[in-house]
Amino acid sequence: MAVALNPHRAVRSAAVSRVPLRILTAVPICDGHDSAVTAINIELARHGIEVIYLGYHQSVSAIARAAIQEDVNVVGLSSYNGGHIIFFKEVVDRLKQGGNGDIPVFGGGGGTITKADERIMQRQGTDRIFFAGTPFKDIMALIQRDYARTAKPNAKFKGDRALARAITLAEQNLATRHSLRAAPAQKRARSFVVGVAGPGGAGKSTLIDELTSRFLLKNPSGRIAILANDPSHPDTGGAILGDRVSAIYAQDDRVFFRSLATRGSLTGLSAAAPAAIEILKRSGEFDLILVESVGVGQESDPFGSFGHGRCLTDAVLFVLAPHYGGLIQLQKIALLNGADLVALNKCDHPMARTAKAEIQARLNQNGRGQLLHSTTAAKHFDSGVDALFAAIAQLGGLSNSSGGEKPCQLEVAP
Amino acid sequence: MSQLGKIADSVDSYNQFVSAEIARARSDPKFAAELRTRWAGLRASVGLTRSPTGTPLPRLALPETDEPGAIAEYLFGQGFPGQFPYATAAYREMYLDTAIGTGEEPMRLFAGLGLAEDTNARFKYLSRHQKSLRLSTAFDGPTLYGLDSDHAGVLGKVGEGGVAIDTVEDMGRLFAGFDLTRKDASVSMTMNAPAPVILAMFIAAAKRRFGADCVPNLRGTIQADMLKEVQAQNEVIFPVDASLRFLCDMIEWCVPNMPRWYPVSISGYHIAEAGATPVQQAAFTLSNGFTYAGLLKQRGADVNAFGPRLSFFLDCGLDVEYLVLGRVCRRIWAIGMRDVFGADAKAQILKLHTQTSGRSLIAAEFQNNLTRTAVELMVAYMNYTNSCHSNSADEPFTTPTEKYALLASHSQSILLEETGIFKHTMNLFGGAPGLLALERQVEQRILGVFREMDTLGGVIAAMEQRYQRSQIQESGHRIETQIYSGERPIIGLNKYVSDEPMPSVPLARTSPKKQRLQVERLRAFKKKHAKKTPDALQRLENVTRDGGNVFSELVDTVEVCSLGQITACLTGVVGKFRPMV
Repeated sequence: MAVALNPHRAVRSAAVSRVPLRILTAVPICDGHDSAVTAINIELARHGIEVIYLGYHQSVSAIARAAIQEDVNVVGLSSYNGGHIIFFKEVVDRLKQGGNGDIPVFGGGGGTITKADERIMQRQGTDRIFFAGTPFKDIMALIQRDYARTAKPNAKFKGDRALARAITLAEQNLATRHSLRAAPAQKRARSFVVGVAGPGGAGKSTLIDELTSRFLLKNPSGRIAILANDPSHPDTGGAILGDRVSAIYAQDDRVFFRSLATRGSLTGLSAAAPAAIEILKRSGEFDLILVESVGVGQESDPFGSFGHGRCLTDAVLFVLAPHYGGLIQLQKIALLNGADLVALNKCDHPMARTAKAEIQARLNQNGRGQLLHSTTAAKHFDSGVDALFAAIAQLGGLSNSSGGEKPCQLEVAP
Repeated sequence: MSQLGKIADSVDSYNQFVSAEIARARSDPKFAAELRTRWAGLRASVGLTRSPTGTPLPRLALPETDEPGAIAEYLFGQGFPGQFPYATAAYREMYLDTAIGTGEEPMRLFAGLGLAEDTNARFKYLSRHQKSLRLSTAFDGPTLYGLDSDHAGVLGKVGEGGVAIDTVEDMGRLFAGFDLTRKDASVSMTMNAPAPVILAMFIAAAKRRFGADCVPNLRGTIQADMLKEVQAQNEVIFPVDASLRFLCDMIEWCVPNMPRWYPVSISGYHIAEAGATPVQQAAFTLSNGFTYAGLLKQRGADVNAFGPRLSFFLDCGLDVEYLVLGRVCRRIWAIGMRDVFGADAKAQILKLHTQTSGRSLIAAEFQNNLTRTAVELMVAYMNYTNSCHSNSADEPFTTPTEKYALLASHSQSILLEETGIFKHTMNLFGGAPGLLALERQVEQRILGVFREMDTLGGVIAAMEQRYQRSQIQESGHRIETQIYSGERPIIGLNKYVSDEPMPSVPLARTSPKKQRLQVERLRAFKKKHAKKTPDALQRLENVTRDGGNVFSELVDTVEVCSLGQITACLTGVVGKFRPMV
C-alpha cells in the first residue's frame, strides 16, 4: 500500500480535546503480514486515536474477546493471505452472537481483497474495505467521521461487555455511580488486587502474562483481570496499547484484559484506574486483579503504597531488571520500601548475580522481611515465576494447589 | 568480541592480503612470473565457441591483461569461477549451453494452491514446459503455522496461497506420478516452523512409494530458517531456543541420511520483502547463516560435513545494489567459513537461490510487473544464482493463475535459452569497474552492520533487543515515504499514471467445497489411526523432554499423527513463542 509515514512528526488535531477513539487492530489467523498494520497503527496514534494492537495470527475468538473487553469503537483487520470472506464474516457473527453487533468491522488487504469481495463482505456485515493506494489522510478522515462517538450506558450489554462499558464510562468521566450500578451483582467475597510497577523494560508485561498462566493452571474455575496502563502521546492524545501482543495467556475467556491509556494523567495510572478497579471488584467475577502501571521512575508511587492515604491495591509487586545502574540508584527507588513483593526479572542475565545480592541488602534495610524473588519471565515454565505466584497466592488466599495438570493441557490459543 | 566481529575482521584481513599480493606481484619478479604462468594456463583452459551469427567467443570471459597486479586482483580478489573467494560464481560453467543441456537447470517455479491434487496438477502443467523435474512447493497459512485444516477459524485459509497439507497421505497425493528418485528431480518446500514435521511427512510418503532405501536419493531443499521468521516473517510457533533445537536436530539427521538434501535455506527474501535494504538483507542473512554454523559447531557437528548442506535464498529487487549482492555474499561467506570456521573448499561455497521481488510488484497497471520481473531476473542471473524463481505478474491480487505462472516460467527460458546473454560465455559482466566499485561499497556496509550487531552481543542477543526487526521496519517506512513523495518512482502508481480502469483479473481461489473435503480427509485419517496416535505422541513427548533427536522420532510419528496433533504435543513440552511488539 502506498502510504506516507513519518512516525516522528506528530499530528495535532482537533481530536486532542475530545475523548479519543479506540480501535482494535489485528491480522487474521495464519497470517503474519504485519508491515501494513504496523504502519497504520503508528498513523492512527498520530491522529489522536488509541490503538489496541492484538498482533498477527489472531483467531476469531481472540479478536472478538479483545474487542468486547476493550469496548472499542471499531475493529480493523489487515488480511494479506486470503480467506478474508469467511474470516471477516466469522468475526462479525461472533460479535453479533454475544450482543456486541454494535462494534463495526473494517479491513484492508492491499490487492488481495477485490471490489467484488468487498460487496460480498458488506452483505455479510463488514463495514468497509480500504483498497491499495488509499492515502492515509483519507483513511483517517473516514475513520474519524464514521466511528468517533461518545460511549453511553447500555443496559443491554452483558458479561464482559457490561464491565468494559462501565470502565469506558469511567474513562469518559461520566457518573461513576451509574457505571457501578450497571455492574452485575456480587458473586465472590473479595478480589485480591495487586499493583505491578517497575521501570520501563523490566519485563512487567511478560511477567504478568506468566503469572496469568500460573493462575489459570492453579485455579481451574477462577477468573483473573488485568488492567494495563500505558502512556498517551502528550501532543496527539493517541496511544499504541500493545500489551496484548505478547500476552499469549490472556487469550482465554477466564481472563479479562483491559488496556488503559493515561490520557494526560501523570501518576503512572489512568485517572480512571481507581474506578476501573472498583468496577472489577464489585463485579464479583475475579479472584485476582493485576494492575500494571506505566514504566515508573524513582519517586513514583502509582498505587499509594506509602500509607499516606488509602492504598489502591491490596499489595504491590515491584519488578526490576539487573540494569538499574548501581547501589546508589537502588537507594533512591522509593517503591522498594513500599512494595510487598519485589521481583528481579531477567535473571538469566550475567549482571543478575550482583543485582540479587544488592537488592536483597537494600530490602533488608527496610526491616519488613521483604524477600526478593528471582524470575526469568521470558523462559517458559520458569520456577522463579512459580515461586512468585505462590507468594501472591499466599498473600491473597488464592489456590496454588490444583497442580498436577500437564502444561500441554493449558489451552493456548490459537 | 562475538563471532560476528571476528568474521568482519577476517574479511578486512583478507582484503589486506589481496592488496599485499597485488603489490608483491608488481614488485617481486619471481612472484610475477609465477602468476603469469598460472594465468597463461588458465587462459589456455578456456574453450572457444561461436554465437549463432558467427562471432567467436571464449566460454569464460577473463580480464584482458598480462599485468601481474591485475592478475593477482582477479585471482585473489574475485576468484576464477568455482574458486575461492567465489565472487564470480560457485561453479565453473553455470548456465552455459552444455551445462544446461546436462540437466542442471536453475529454474524453480514455486507453486501451491488448493488441495494436494490441485498443486500436483499445477506441477504437471509447469513441468511439461521445463527440461527437468523442479517441484517447488508453497503451503497454505494453516500448514505454515502448524495447524490442522479443522482447527477453529482456519477453514477460509485452507488451500489459500499455497497447498493444504495435514497428513502423510496429503504429501503422497502432492507428488503422485513424479519419480522423486530421478537424478534430475529436485523438490523445494517453503516451510519453516513446522519444517521438521513436513520433511518427516515427505520422507514417510517417499518411503511408502519408492521403498525404505530411497531416502539417500531424495534431493531438494526445505527452508526451515527460523531466525528470519523471528526477525521478519512472523511464522513462529515455538520459543526461539526450541525452534533452533528442532532445526539443528533435523540438520544433524539429514547430513548423514540425506546427502543430496539441503535441510535449511538461509533466507533474506522475507527480510527484504518486509522492507530491509539490500545491504540489511545481506547482512542479516549472512549473520543468520554464521549463527547456524556456530550452533551446529557448538553441538559438536563437523563443519565440513554440514557446511556443504547449508543453502541460501535472496530477494532480487530493482535497487542498484542488487547488481552485486550475490557476488558480495558468496565472498563474505567463503572468507568467514574458511578463516573463522576452518571449513574446507566444499563447505565454503554459498549456494544461492534467488526470487524476484514480490514487493516490487503492484496492482496498478499490473502488466508492468512482467517487465519488472524480467529485469530482476536478468540481475539475478548476472549474480550467477544457482537457482531462481520468477514471480507472476498477477501476484498482487492472487495466487498465480496458470496463464501468468507460465509467462513467469517462460521469462526464465527466454533469458537463458533464447537470448545469447548467458549461454555462450561465462561472466560477461563480472569485474566491470562500476560493479567492482559497487561491490566494495556494499561489502563494507554489510561489515558495518556485522560490527553493530557485534556490539549488541551477536545475532541472537540483537534479536532479543529487536534490533533486526526495528531496522527492517524503519527501512520499510522509508520506502513508503519515498513512494508517497515521489522520490521513488513507481510507474503507473505515482508516475505516468493512466486513467484506464483496473481490468478484472481471474483469481485462483479455493472453493468451500474443497476446503470441506480437506477437513473430511483429515478426520478420516485421525479416525483410522486413533488407537495408535496417543502412543506415538507420548513417544514424541518423551524424546522432546529427554533431549533426544526430535527429528528421528518425527519420521515415525507422522505415520499416525497429523500436523496439528504433533504441533500441539510439541507446544505442550516447549511452550509457545511470545511475539515481540
